[in-house]
Amino acid sequence: MSDKKNVSQDRKAAQWARGLMESVRAVLAARPEADPDNVRHTLILLEQHPIERLRRSLTRGRALAQRK
Amino acid sequence: MAAPSLNESELQFLRALLRRKVRFMVVGLSAAALQGAPVVTQDVDLWFERLEDPRIVEALREVNAAYVPPSILNPPMFVGGGVELFDIVLTMHGLGTFSEELDKCVNVSLGRHNLKVLRVDRILASKRAANRPKDRLVIPVLEDSLATTTISARRSKKKLKSTKRKSS
Repeated sequence: MSDKKNVSQDRKAAQWARGLMESVRAVLAARPEADPDNVRHTLILLEQHPIERLRRSLTRGRALAQRK
Repeated sequence: MAAPSLNESELQFLRALLRRKVRFMVVGLSAAALQGAPVVTQDVDLWFERLEDPRIVEALREVNAAYVPPSILNPPMFVGGGVELFDIVLTMHGLGTFSEELDKCVNVSLGRHNLKVLRVDRILASKRAANRPKDRLVIPVLEDSLATTTISARRSKKKLKSTKRKSS
């Protein structure tokens, strides 16, 4: 049962990754000068609620500030 | 370990401002982050039309915070109640008037209210005008993110149209 669940989760993850990379390629085809990482990260963040996007940004920003 | 970001009291303060219809918008990198730009920031910049608006103080009281006016020693600040995260912006480089920019804002839903957020192309205009080293660093990221959002929205529209055509 748990093996089946893992297989289905892996399949879903692979499907999501393929879709994501297809979108990255589509953006880069229209804007070849773009940084692929910026494009990929934006696409991932667009799947989140705006407040969650801001939370992530603040968490990383504060962690960086504390490391300095 | 970093402090938890954007906690309930900070959201409560934003809701208190919105409930009182205070005219303000989120600007800077936090506005860009809200729209999906992969940028990091330490604070949330708020641009108010009128800092003398008494409803701002009312909203601050609701979360047990206070307004400290500017002096030689400090810029205008919000203090207490966990709202120190918010920075008060008085002027924005390279942009139109507050009203002009407010009309172009995007809305981010915050419960029953909409938070006004400065559009990424307008954030880019302000960063280009300010032109400090830290602004120059973030411009390419904002440009890529804006292009990504525009292109992926166009693709989604196209997909939706073709799905509708197939089903009819």
